[in-house]
Amino acid sequence: MTETTTEIISTKMNPNVLPHLHIWEWHIPLYLFLGGLAGGLLIITAIMIVIKRHFGVGPRDEGEGCPCLAVRIGSLLAPVLLGVGMLFLFLDLANKFYVWAFYTTVQPTSPMSAGSWILIAFFPMAVLQAMLVNKKFLRDRNIGVVNKLIDWTEDHLTLVALLNAHIGIGIGIYTGILLSFFYARPLWSSSILGMLFLVSGISSAAALMLLFAPDNEKPIYSKIDVNALWIEMVVLGLFVLGGITGPSNNSGAMMHLIGGDYQMAGMSYMLWFWGIFVALGLVLPMLLEFLEAVGVHIRFPLVAPVLVLIGGLVLRFLIVFAGQTYHTFM
Amino acid sequence: MSRTGSHLSRQSPPASGITLPENKNQNQETMNMNHGRNVNRRDFLKISSLFLAGTAAASYGVGEVLNGSSNAFADENGEKVVYSFCEHCFWRCGIAAHVRDGKIYKITGSEHHPLSNGRLCPRGTGGIGQIYDPDRLAHPLIREKKGGKSTYRKASWDEAITAVAEGFYKTREKYGPGSIAMLHHGYGVSFFKSMFKGIGVNQFAKPSYDFCCGPRREAFNLTYGHPAGTPEGIDIINSKYLIFFGTHYGENMHNTAVQELSEGIRRGLKIVVFDPRFSTIAGKAEKWLPIKPATDIAMMQAIMHVMISENRYDREFVNRYTVGLNELWAEVSEMTPEKAAEITDIPADDIRTIAREFASHAPNAAVHPGRRTNWYSDGTQRVRAIAILNALAGNYKMPGGVVKFDTFDLPKPEAHPHPAFEKECYSKFPFFVKNVSSNTLGSHEIVEKTIEGDIKAWMVYGVNVPETVTFGRKTALEAIDKLDFMVVVDTLPMEVTGYADVVLPECTYLERYDDLDNGRPYRTPFVALRQPVVPPMYDSRPGNEIAKMIAEKWGLHGIFEENVETYLDKRLQKIGSSLAEIKKTGTLVKPETDLYRKPGEALKFKTPSGKIELASAQMKAAGLDSVPRYMRHPEPADGFYRLLTGRKPMLTFGRTANNRFLGELPTAQENEIWMHPDVAAKHDIHLETAGHGQNEPVYVRLKNQDGIVSEFPIKVKITERIRRDSVYMVHGFGHYLKKLSWAYKRGASHNQMISRTEIDPVMGGVGYQNNFVTFIKEA
Amino acid sequence: MADKKNYGMVIDTRVCVGCSACVYACKSENGVPEGYCRDWVVQETKGRFPKLSMENRSERCQHCENAPCVTYCPTRASHYDDNGTVQINRSRCTGCKACLAACPYDARYVHPQGFADKCSLCKHRLDEGLDTACVSVCPTKSLNLVDFNDPENKAERLMNGKEVYRQKDHAGTNPSLYWISARNKPGE
Ligand SMILES: Nc1nc2c(c(=O)[nH]1)N[C@H]1C(S)=C(S)[C@@H](COP(=O)(O)OP(=O)(O)OC[C@H]3O[C@@H](n4cnc5c(=O)[nH]c(N)nc54)[C@H](O)[C@@H]3O)O[C@H]1N2
Ligand SMILES: Nc1nc2c(c(=O)[nH]1)N[C@H]1C(S)=C(S)[C@@H](COP(=O)(O)OP(=O)(O)OC[C@H]3O[C@@H](n4cnc5c(=O)[nH]c(N)nc54)[C@H](O)[C@@H]3O)O[C@H]1N2
Ligand code: SF4
Ligand code: SF4
Ligand code: SF4
Ligand code: SF4
Ligand code: SF4
Ligand SMILES: [Mo]
Repeated sequence: MTETTTEIISTKMNPNVLPHLHIWEWHIPLYLFLGGLAGGLLIITAIMIVIKRHFGVGPRDEGEGCPCLAVRIGSLLAPVLLGVGMLFLFLDLANKFYVWAFYTTVQPTSPMSAGSWILIAFFPMAVLQAMLVNKKFLRDRNIGVVNKLIDWTEDHLTLVALLNAHIGIGIGIYTGILLSFFYARPLWSSSILGMLFLVSGISSAAALMLLFAPDNEKPIYSKIDVNALWIEMVVLGLFVLGGITGPSNNSGAMMHLIGGDYQMAGMSYMLWFWGIFVALGLVLPMLLEFLEAVGVHIRFPLVAPVLVLIGGLVLRFLIVFAGQTYHTFM
Repeated sequence: MSRTGSHLSRQSPPASGITLPENKNQNQETMNMNHGRNVNRRDFLKISSLFLAGTAAASYGVGEVLNGSSNAFADENGEKVVYSFCEHCFWRCGIAAHVRDGKIYKITGSEHHPLSNGRLCPRGTGGIGQIYDPDRLAHPLIREKKGGKSTYRKASWDEAITAVAEGFYKTREKYGPGSIAMLHHGYGVSFFKSMFKGIGVNQFAKPSYDFCCGPRREAFNLTYGHPAGTPEGIDIINSKYLIFFGTHYGENMHNTAVQELSEGIRRGLKIVVFDPRFSTIAGKAEKWLPIKPATDIAMMQAIMHVMISENRYDREFVNRYTVGLNELWAEVSEMTPEKAAEITDIPADDIRTIAREFASHAPNAAVHPGRRTNWYSDGTQRVRAIAILNALAGNYKMPGGVVKFDTFDLPKPEAHPHPAFEKECYSKFPFFVKNVSSNTLGSHEIVEKTIEGDIKAWMVYGVNVPETVTFGRKTALEAIDKLDFMVVVDTLPMEVTGYADVVLPECTYLERYDDLDNGRPYRTPFVALRQPVVPPMYDSRPGNEIAKMIAEKWGLHGIFEENVETYLDKRLQKIGSSLAEIKKTGTLVKPETDLYRKPGEALKFKTPSGKIELASAQMKAAGLDSVPRYMRHPEPADGFYRLLTGRKPMLTFGRTANNRFLGELPTAQENEIWMHPDVAAKHDIHLETAGHGQNEPVYVRLKNQDGIVSEFPIKVKITERIRRDSVYMVHGFGHYLKKLSWAYKRGASHNQMISRTEIDPVMGGVGYQNNFVTFIKEA
Repeated sequence: MADKKNYGMVIDTRVCVGCSACVYACKSENGVPEGYCRDWVVQETKGRFPKLSMENRSERCQHCENAPCVTYCPTRASHYDDNGTVQINRSRCTGCKACLAACPYDARYVHPQGFADKCSLCKHRLDEGLDTACVSVCPTKSLNLVDFNDPENKAERLMNGKEVYRQKDHAGTNPSLYWISARNKPGE
């Protein structure tokens, strides 16, 4: 017999609330991942545009100020991925008919509300940037409005790009803040979560760009990725430390994540966290990319970015799930 | 009547396994569903879902009502409230049934009814789960034999009533009225009594007397000259100090008593509980004493010992109003707290303290008589000891003591002339209740007489015999097997219906009139009306109509009024009221009566001595102990544990077993076997954690001292809340009839675990707590 | 301001027997779907045989005065009512479940029809001057509806001199449910 000296009998029975919260399944982690990815892409591509334009640094220009392939695809993917993410968010709504209510309310205290407004800002700006960087293709189509929009963007490119970099940061942080505002869930209630998701979004975005960047463009994204991974490691360390050293609510929750035997898809949180996310998703790709940078030949150069992407995805799933399976604020 | 297997031999297939060759197949078939009995003359019929409410229920919106898609914010038009009284236990609280669009959507406590006082116990709210139970009996059924197999066939009311009238009539012609008996429980039975009396049958028994509160009733009768009553005549609300032996209020949810207790606590009532288990009320007690079960009389004697030897009893009261103190002292003088401590496991100091505190709070202190008092064979003597403790405290008609509530004086309807009865009381027990026409012998006596062949036909009204008649399920089924004819009136396809020749579906208490209720004594005497809230569903009928149809089939006209409304109205007219008047609030209530003794008032008791009988001469004359004596009861062998039982607050055994509305809560879904952690460890029973403060459920089967193994496994509850020599399970689970689509296989049956019973020699109560179980781990 | 209500509850665990009548009453009053509950009963036993203590209590939404469910609701479907309770406007609720995650008491659920749901403190009854369904059924009067703005101060009278607590007070939600501890002696 265990040392229980407290026996609690309860008649409570609400599904998805008991025995632990189970309100968010795969939709939300995917949404957060895609949101982070989109944010990361926007940040990277916007910055690339700015530094190219102002400092001439960066990848090859494909003529007429039209940037390199990776930036072109990245800019295009950002709104698309976010759109897909939002579709998942929408699919998760239990009362879909009332989705309009998000946009008839300004509720600054609600990260969900704030988020839904940031998303609104994201789209037009991201689309403008995507149009501009693909202007060669679009100009051939010669559509009146599109031409006008491209003209306008061209004139304000620095502004648009800088704004986009900020919106990207906002989105990235938002994906973490969304959770960290819920102080009722001890694992989530850490302000570092926003930073962690932002950096993870950037590293994932860089990894994604590595996948489709031509060889000559790869080094820069590899560099971004390694640096982002580094920072991510540091932020993760802070997140874990902050949890462990926090009051029992938070330390318990952190241990539930990093040492927990609770299962996700048949494997314990602990294994997911250390084995998949930290070892395979952070350390190994960092090592691989570092080796590559110092000139060691890697046979499958795509392995590292794929691992980073998996790591980012796993991180979102882990945090969303473990935050729910740990008990409520006590 | 045709019954299966009448060609089979009367003997049970012997345990050695010898069976008549030609019966082999059939034996095997019936064995599969014989649920612990080894006779198969009357096999257990599975009622086909064809005859149940089942699919038809959907059209009544059961799903909707139970799923709660009804919306409290909906338009309030078409709403009505009907006042009636509850039938989820015998307490009979007043209810207000709320109807919307022809459906009852909620039941609340009637603010007009003194027993509910506007409030209800959880079961009272659960009527919607009964009336809209999709498993309800929907049509009369008649047992039929086709090609050697028994089946039920749907019958018209006329066919069914003809079969019933004929069956009983033939039995009576052949063997006399003494060969017919009725087992009953529930308020609708009164019409069936009148019906049977019409043909000279008055052999009626209710398990709710001999398996339940009978010992208490007679103990108070013998001591005070009147029964303890329902609600018990204890002025709980004004009490300063109450002692309970068992009596697990809070789980036993007698509405009014629980209301008074809580008000008492608010006013400063101190509670002491003797219970081997930390019950809910023990959780409210100033002191919980985990007494060794079956030793309560020793404890009571020790308390008497302290009160008398330390001169703490009410001398004046005892001298003036009681007889037999010397005889009592002669018996208890030996029972020192030290001696009792050895017997009961309760330290002598605690015994002294409690005796002194009880005495110091007297006369505003009382020992509660309890209700299900038939624990062992000495139930009457145990409650006698309780009655005596109260007398020593001098609390009779004192605030917070023993009081006598009054009933509403409502003239009885004129009795219809009937043939002379063979006997007024058939019971062989000396102090079995006398002059109560609804209860003329013990239900176990009916079982016995049936097995002996004296009783040939049963009418069963609201008694789920195999799960209730705790003479052992096996014995009950053995008796059923001997019957020539059996009729069951019920609302649900309970186990008992599976053995009947004719099944008559009664509508529920929410769909019918019954007789007026003036049987409950309380502070404000009252009479209450049961009236239909909605019309009967399916092809079910109210008892009053069924009884009338049967009587008329016998050619007896005039026993019943033309209709039940006329009958009720006539009764009410006699007290200057009317059915129309009482329908409005469901009750007529008199002002509060004066319960307390006036200074100098001379008290009279309807005992032979005219006094409270500490020692009972009439018991002595009947060859019984005149004062309560402690006797040792059997103890469990090593590895076995005494099986204790009790209630869950939201359920009433058979009555609510299939009630989905009440059964839905996680705590209501099944019963558990409570065991102390040390007991679990000894049997190598461990709970594996499943995270989130929850454990992987572990199930065991129970095996009793006679080798009976529970048909279904039961969930283990490892808890500090029970002694190491006992285990505990709630009665009313483990139903084996598949047609009870909710109740089937939930938990284990307490009744199945009982194979040893002892009869109380005073009034014939059946004690069944000398059964012991061990555990068989489920693979 | 004086006639503005500020409802809450004082729950006397000394007398609650954990019977669940309040749960059933709520279910039929409010059409709570099968398998869900707006209120629930907890029986907590502490100690070791034979030194045990017990508290029974009927729990539900705390109608926090600083309610995270309201703060985090993106659509203001969750809102403070004029009567001091927290309510959900079903025709603004997206079912995003933010409020479920935000509530430190796990008092909410998602109704099968899609909206978030929880104890409304029977607002429809309060509006008619009635007690809530659970309060009015409770056989022990453990549940007491109180108006903290009531000049007669029933709440104060109920709690006076007793050990009283609020659940997760340190969560800063300022709950409107007060609990008279079962540790109080009878009468005190
Ligand atoms: N909710 C609900 N309430 C009910 C009912 C119901 O089904 N549900 N049924 C009603 C009916 S019909 C009845 S008869 C009553 C029964 O209810 P009670 O009259 O209260 O029944 P008891 O058997 O006295 O109480 C059971 C308690 O007695 C303890 N006990 C067992 N053996 C002993 C012993 O030897 N000594 C002592 N001191 N204690 C012992 C058990 O541990 C258990 O806690 O409840 C009534 N009330
Ligand atoms: N093993 C064991 N046996 C016990 C007990 C125990 O604790 N353990 N307790 C004993 C006690 S205290 C008591 S009081 C008895 C009670 O035992 P019973 O009198 O058998 O009571 P219930 O189990 O409620 O069974 C009632 C039957 O009535 C039916 N019924 C319900 N409503 C109506 C109605 O309106 N009309 C008709 N015609 N039928 C209806 C139900 O469907 C059910 O079949 O059991 C005793 N037997
Ligand atoms: S105590 Fe409960 S079940 Fe019994 S009559 Fe009253 S409300 Fe009905
Ligand atoms: S109805 Fe009252 S006594 Fe029963 S559980 Fe609810 S609060 Fe407690
Ligand atoms: S208890 Fe939960 S649902 Fe209720 S008001 Fe507080 S935070 Fe909101
Ligand atoms: S589920 Fe409804 S009430 Fe809850 S936060 Fe979302 S919109 Fe608001
Ligand atoms: S106040 Fe109303 S809604 Fe809230 S728990 Fe009580 S009955 Fe249910
Ligand atoms: Mo009983």
